[in-house]
Amino acid sequence: MKKFIIILVVFLGIDSCNSDKEFLNVPPLNILTQETVFNDPALALSVLGDLYNRAVDFTSLKTGWLSFTDFGESFPSDGSTVSNTTWDYTAWSLYEYGYVRDLNLFIERIAISTALNPAEKSRFIAEARFLRAQYYFEMVKRMGGVPLITKSLVFPIGGDITTFQVARSKEHEVYDFIITESEDIKNSLPNDANTKSRATKAAALALQCRAALYAGSIAKYGAKTPLVSLPGDIVGIPANKSQQYYAKALSAANEIIDGKAGAYKLYNSIPNLSENFSAIFYDKTTSNKESIFVEDFKAYAGKTHMFTTNTQPFSQSEEAANSDAGRLSPSLNLVQSFEKLDNTFSPIETINSDGTPMYYSSITDVFKNRDARLAATVILPGESFKGKLVDVWAGYILSNGTVFTAANSSVLRALPGTTENVQVVGSDGPVDGLAFRTQTGFYNRKYLDPIPQSGTRGRGSDLPFIRYRYSEILLNAAEASFELGDFSKASFFINQVRSRAGFTIPITLNSDNGFNRIVNERRVEFAFEGHFLFDMKRWRIANSVWDGSKMTTTDLRSNIGIATKRNTQPFGLLPYKYFNPGNVNHGKWLFKEVLPGRVTGALNFRNGNYYSQIDPLAIIANPKLLKQPNQ
Amino acid sequence: MKKSFKISLKFGLLFIGINLNNNVVISQTLAALNTSNKSNNQVYNTSDNGKKLLSEYLNLLSSKFKSNILFEENLLRGVFVPNNFTFKKEENFEVQLKSLLNSVGLSFKKINDDQIVVFKIEKKGTQINENFSKIIGDNNLENIQLIDSKSQNNTININRSSIIIDKPIKGKIKDENGNGIPGASILIKGTNQGTQTDADGNFSLSIKDEKSVLVISTIGYTSQEILVGNRTQVDISLKVDSRSLDEVIVIGYGTQKKESLTGSIAVINSKDIERVHAGATVSSGLAGKIAGVTFRQADARPGSSASIQIRNMGVPLYIIDGIQQDAGQFNNISPNDIESISVLKDAASAAVYGARAANGVVVVTTKTGSGEVKFNIDTNFGFQNYFRYPTALTDSYEYLNYRADAELNGVYNGGTGKGTSITPDLLSQYKSGTNPLYQSFNWRKYIFEDNANAPMNTTNLNFSGGGEKVNFYVSATNLSQKSNLGNEWNFNRTNFQSNVTAKPNKNLSISMNVNGRLETRTNPGVPGGDDYNLPTLAVLRNTPLERPFANDNPLYLSDLGGHAATNYAFLNEQLGGKFRQNWRVLTTALSIDYNVPFIKGLKFKGNFSHYIADLLYDNTEYTFITYSYNPADKTYTNNGKGSTNPWREREQRKELNTTIQGIMTYDNKFNNHSIGATLVAERISLTSLRNWLHSIPISNNLPLIYFPTMDRYDDRESSEASVGYVGRFNYNYFDKYFVEASVRRDAYYIFDPDKQIGYFPSISAGWRLSEEKFIKNSIIGNILNDFKLRGSYGLLGDNRNIVTPYAYLPGYTYAVSTNILDGNAILTSRDKGLPTNLLSWTKSLITDIGFDFGLFANKLTGSYDYFYRKRSGLPGTRNDILLPRELGYALPQENLRSDAQFGHEISLLYQNAIGNVKYNVGGNLSLTRSMNLLSYNPLFSNSWDEYRNSTENRYGRIDWGYQVIGQFASQSEINNYKVNNDGQGNRTLIPGDLIYKDQNNDGKIDEYDQRPIGYGGTGDVNMNPNINFGFTLGLSYKSWAIQADFSGGSGISWLQNAESRWAFQNGSASGGNLNTIFQDRWHRTDVFDLNSAWIPGKYPANRFDPKTGHSNYASTSDYWMQDVSFLRSRTIELSYSIPDRYLNNYKIKRARFYINTYNLFSIDNLKEFQVDPEVSNANGLQAAQNRVVNVGFNLSF
Repeated sequence: MKKFIIILVVFLGIDSCNSDKEFLNVPPLNILTQETVFNDPALALSVLGDLYNRAVDFTSLKTGWLSFTDFGESFPSDGSTVSNTTWDYTAWSLYEYGYVRDLNLFIERIAISTALNPAEKSRFIAEARFLRAQYYFEMVKRMGGVPLITKSLVFPIGGDITTFQVARSKEHEVYDFIITESEDIKNSLPNDANTKSRATKAAALALQCRAALYAGSIAKYGAKTPLVSLPGDIVGIPANKSQQYYAKALSAANEIIDGKAGAYKLYNSIPNLSENFSAIFYDKTTSNKESIFVEDFKAYAGKTHMFTTNTQPFSQSEEAANSDAGRLSPSLNLVQSFEKLDNTFSPIETINSDGTPMYYSSITDVFKNRDARLAATVILPGESFKGKLVDVWAGYILSNGTVFTAANSSVLRALPGTTENVQVVGSDGPVDGLAFRTQTGFYNRKYLDPIPQSGTRGRGSDLPFIRYRYSEILLNAAEASFELGDFSKASFFINQVRSRAGFTIPITLNSDNGFNRIVNERRVEFAFEGHFLFDMKRWRIANSVWDGSKMTTTDLRSNIGIATKRNTQPFGLLPYKYFNPGNVNHGKWLFKEVLPGRVTGALNFRNGNYYSQIDPLAIIANPKLLKQPNQ
Repeated sequence: MKKSFKISLKFGLLFIGINLNNNVVISQTLAALNTSNKSNNQVYNTSDNGKKLLSEYLNLLSSKFKSNILFEENLLRGVFVPNNFTFKKEENFEVQLKSLLNSVGLSFKKINDDQIVVFKIEKKGTQINENFSKIIGDNNLENIQLIDSKSQNNTININRSSIIIDKPIKGKIKDENGNGIPGASILIKGTNQGTQTDADGNFSLSIKDEKSVLVISTIGYTSQEILVGNRTQVDISLKVDSRSLDEVIVIGYGTQKKESLTGSIAVINSKDIERVHAGATVSSGLAGKIAGVTFRQADARPGSSASIQIRNMGVPLYIIDGIQQDAGQFNNISPNDIESISVLKDAASAAVYGARAANGVVVVTTKTGSGEVKFNIDTNFGFQNYFRYPTALTDSYEYLNYRADAELNGVYNGGTGKGTSITPDLLSQYKSGTNPLYQSFNWRKYIFEDNANAPMNTTNLNFSGGGEKVNFYVSATNLSQKSNLGNEWNFNRTNFQSNVTAKPNKNLSISMNVNGRLETRTNPGVPGGDDYNLPTLAVLRNTPLERPFANDNPLYLSDLGGHAATNYAFLNEQLGGKFRQNWRVLTTALSIDYNVPFIKGLKFKGNFSHYIADLLYDNTEYTFITYSYNPADKTYTNNGKGSTNPWREREQRKELNTTIQGIMTYDNKFNNHSIGATLVAERISLTSLRNWLHSIPISNNLPLIYFPTMDRYDDRESSEASVGYVGRFNYNYFDKYFVEASVRRDAYYIFDPDKQIGYFPSISAGWRLSEEKFIKNSIIGNILNDFKLRGSYGLLGDNRNIVTPYAYLPGYTYAVSTNILDGNAILTSRDKGLPTNLLSWTKSLITDIGFDFGLFANKLTGSYDYFYRKRSGLPGTRNDILLPRELGYALPQENLRSDAQFGHEISLLYQNAIGNVKYNVGGNLSLTRSMNLLSYNPLFSNSWDEYRNSTENRYGRIDWGYQVIGQFASQSEINNYKVNNDGQGNRTLIPGDLIYKDQNNDGKIDEYDQRPIGYGGTGDVNMNPNINFGFTLGLSYKSWAIQADFSGGSGISWLQNAESRWAFQNGSASGGNLNTIFQDRWHRTDVFDLNSAWIPGKYPANRFDPKTGHSNYASTSDYWMQDVSFLRSRTIELSYSIPDRYLNNYKIKRARFYINTYNLFSIDNLKEFQVDPEVSNANGLQAAQNRVVNVGFNLSF
């Protein structure tokens, strides 16, 4: 019996070998201490990698296709923005100091690290300062002056909270901070045109250039919207500062153009100019010297995006079975902003002067002789993607003018007087209201990845998102020169960009045409690249472009190329086949401008939209924050 | 009977024993002998002519002379006492006995002072047995050997244990009213012999000896054991089983007699669990079974589980055979292996589980073996069909007609629609059906009805038995369940259970419990997350115009006009891919029990358990091609709308759990004071390993994964540890007054080291008033057999889902995301932020007051409980100081908020019998609600904000929305309506549209007009009704029995949405059929004539896939919010047990056949929406519950 007792005691004693405290100490496997991280360059880089990942872009391949829509430039498949009549004051708001804190912590902690060599340290610090300046730029362009926090802060329990309540800086102080920071760090960053996913000297200069240009235009054009201001220049920049900012923008641009930050140049590798323009976005080889700073992705490595999956043409969707394609339909408004090659603006010609329809033998003829960037930005009806025709047409028009179509290309119907069932609408649409097909007659082309399987959920696309590219530097230089009165220099810069788009006749900018030309050039060059809204804001023409009025077809067709042209509703252009056997035009194409059925709103940009709302709870927590004007 | 009688004659010796040293026994035995005389006369019927049987006479002598007289029965068979013999008291007993025996050719030998052996005198040869002189026997004289003094080879062996007589006895088993009970089982204890009563309750049986004990049992009555003694007629009255108070029930870390319970514990035992064949898991069979356990099963796909909660307090803690386990473990034990489930609802019963017990505890005990060795087979086969599922149009003409109606309603009055391309001419072509393209296809039939009667079957084999030294229960169960989506959608589980206990000696027992299972879910690889989503969605998404194959040629998949994903034709393993999920689980538990000798009532117990669960998950989604048919040249073309996206993933997980417990218990009784104490020390550690990888195979033909195609690999490992100490003390006086106190000290790794330890005390008391003389001796006492008041109060905790592990540590988390820098993938790290080191477990104070009672000889029993759980320390953020956003961090969470859950529950059971008919009626009802209490200094900007957004001191689970006060009857009513009902000046409205109540009379409908309108429950499968009830009816007659269970719920809401709110959902994505509930809608006399008169209907006029684009559908309103109440039949079972008299020849102990239904019908208010009353999805589309019909049998050998 005794032996059983012994066994029992031993058995119960097994878990008493270590104390409860030891037993409960279960160390984590993926948590690193600060000391470990900042004494190992690989781990420090891993922290920096997260800070790069958290950089904010207005439109981003990471955040998805919806960020590329809105503003009359496109129709989103969910119909979300096209029924809007206005934007909330919270739209585009950005006020995330957690990111700023982590940047500040990184800068402070790397500085006290003893194990990293000075070159590593100074590059790491410069990169984090670049990201911080970049982030303040994202904030200032949306919110105006924000509190400038450049050190990590911890509130001690029981301390005086008011000393931690920081007021908003003046708007120009934030711009000044961005400009001086980028100036300070540029020489600690690599001078290398092949480094694109990490900060370089050119990236710092590009940031400086864009920020200075914004500050200059807000200073200059702010006068047009006197209501959009707060006392103490918290929002709004004094007009007298505009010239110095334009000069700064030009000097930063020149530093890149002169090759002092690396061998950047316009991408010009493919003879077909449209394909060449598309390739700026998908060519990841070293021959691409146009992109300066990008967010990179990589297939089979854990970072890809779904943009191609979401927006590829329906008929060649690699995810049609799972209902994904064609979510972004560029508008006719945008399409017609692309000039004809004779430097003139013209609507897409659909009717003769007598109001009768124009008939075209080929569906593509209607878009002939336009800016090469058009076919690189949108997929036009009758054009191909990945070598395959995109089947866009809306149906037949019968001799009596009625439309003969179906709810889906798979629904076959017999045309009048025939017995055979045939397809009566393009397999890529458009059918009004039918999801995943274009609603405007156009599919998006920019950022579409031509690599097979890049449109699947499984692989995804690894096409990079370009934050700064050389062409912007040229157009910034053109605009700054123009604003500084140097029209010839301005023409020189803008014509480089236009020439790459196929324009053989240079234009000459002058005080009459210059502004409109610059505005339109940026609109077509940078369509869907996240510039449009902020350009409209800094020039203070957003309230004119989006005035809340609905558009007629006449509105649409007039004033093309004028900066303040109304753009409140996205129109479509529907191609039809003419069905009238025996008629000379039988079998030819005609086109109709339409407003897609779900476009019910008309965008209205209010004065309160110039600066996005600061969360009222943030103001409660920090009473020193001034509320935005007109809200 | 005859057979066995012969056998016993051959080997038997009659033994009549009188123990001289015990007066009490003597008097009993004498009395028995007297009756024995009488009965012997009856049986042998040989006492004719006044002669006495010698055997009887010897019995008489043996009592008179206080000696045992042993003889071989066949020696005395038919031998009578000679007529001339008379026994003379004054003469020597032995001399007279010798004379008597010699006269019939017998002799005897005295083997000790009080034992005499009778034998036959052999007169021939050397075997004159008078010479037997030497007696050899063991201490107890179990074996006696008589040896011939002259010939050592001549011996007689007498084995007392083989002294057998087949003694016939008869009897009647009666109920309390004296009526015979048919079908009652009578078993001789310790043997496998037995019989059953006939229709009148009579039985006859032969026994071996008078020490035999009969075990009489039958369903609905308490079992009785009867010592036969020398009786030949045994009449027994059975008491109705009213959950006898002697019942021992399982509690935390031990067992307790039911009468001494002071906490609130509900128990369900194997009989009630095994009868239900509802689904594959344990929880799915518990609807309405247990008072206070709420139930909802929104999804009943193969292998699914129901949401069960105790008093709606949240996910309970599961304890299986003493070890903490998760819900998945609980659900996938074989129901056949469960002996009982105890539900610990209040603080007194659950506090021993401390920091995890706040939501109640479910304690499961598996079966053990005992008694004779038995082999059982239980098998059943069932057919399942969806109980309800929305229906859609099946006719193309009808579809287009409704669609034209809906599309035209959109444009009416400046709406948002776009008109219709459907013309009356087109419709007429569809109606005539002459064009081969204008056919119809019934998707619901194709997907569900062609797969009707999905099989589900279970077979359990078990082998059990036990004795003094070893008990064992060994069991294997296989369950296979398929789906209404087809045979490739299935669940299969095989369970093994082996519970073996060895008792090397009376103080020690060693148990080894092994529980294993293999759990497999398979179905075709389906794109998207939930594989059951696409095929069930397809029923409403696909239209009758769409057909699964191009030109109906099964070689060419159709793309359905661009939504090939819902083409059910590819959702099979050949075209779609394969999904395989295997869980392999093994729990082994060793436990040692030791009763300390010399200290009565003191026991030690040690448990060691290790649990390993292994998941292997493999999923492949193939690429596939869809085709268009070109009628002109009769060709098929790949139209590129299939999938070019192969998806391959694999997940592997291992869960390793070790539990070590040491338990000391002490139970003793001193006079009328009973005391008990339990001490427990427990350590639990858990390690979880997981990896997941994804690849993009280059071909459907490659089932393995190759490195170059891999693009993701996630690896994780985490560990947990907890330590608990428990002390429990209970005391009762006179079994009348009970008190119990317990405390647990728990420590859990997840909190800051300073916050890891918690103490969870509880106290409870009970008072059995029915034991008080003033009740017992009063008139009340005649009716009220039992009444106990009880109450408990205590503190429990919850340390689950409070805080992420290691939130108390500063530092950097590695691998939060991936970034591509300079072309290389970099795993990134992020600062964890300020440590959360103030947070600890939540605290729950539970009060429970209740009573148990038994009335009318315990025919009616029941109990009632009121409970209130106040939970405090829910995580929240302090806002006394508002940190400026610019600091970039928020204050860490602390234990700040509080809430409550409270309610009542009652259960009743009435059992009785009238003649041969036994019946029982039982039911339970529970009400429970949640309330938010303090939310720590909430800030509101105005009184509306407070009204709308405050949760303080309000019921939880509230839905807000508009109230609908009617529907517009005419356009003129709309034109004259003053309130802006649609936010657009009412220009989108047409007759039939909903009118919202303008609560604040400001002339417009906006958020200020929202009011509480529902109880919650939509979209949350883990939200159970506030009111739950169940009842059961049982009726048996002879070998037949009917049992019917019902359960229901109320106080939960279903909010119609999407497919169940508007017409042609998904229409804009080129699918979208009409839910047939919308056929009853406002519409025009002629759909194509916008000026024709309106015909009223139930629903507003249909619009084509309006989504939230119209005021009818954009907002939550009580028009779409349904308060659900339902009562549904659960198990209804008819069974027949073959009477034993037919089974005996086949050595079968029990044979029972049954037919059984589950969810046969439901009385509820969701029928009009064609959805199951327990539906959770707002669109009503989900693999909801099945109606199941089972046939099966149990056999025992």
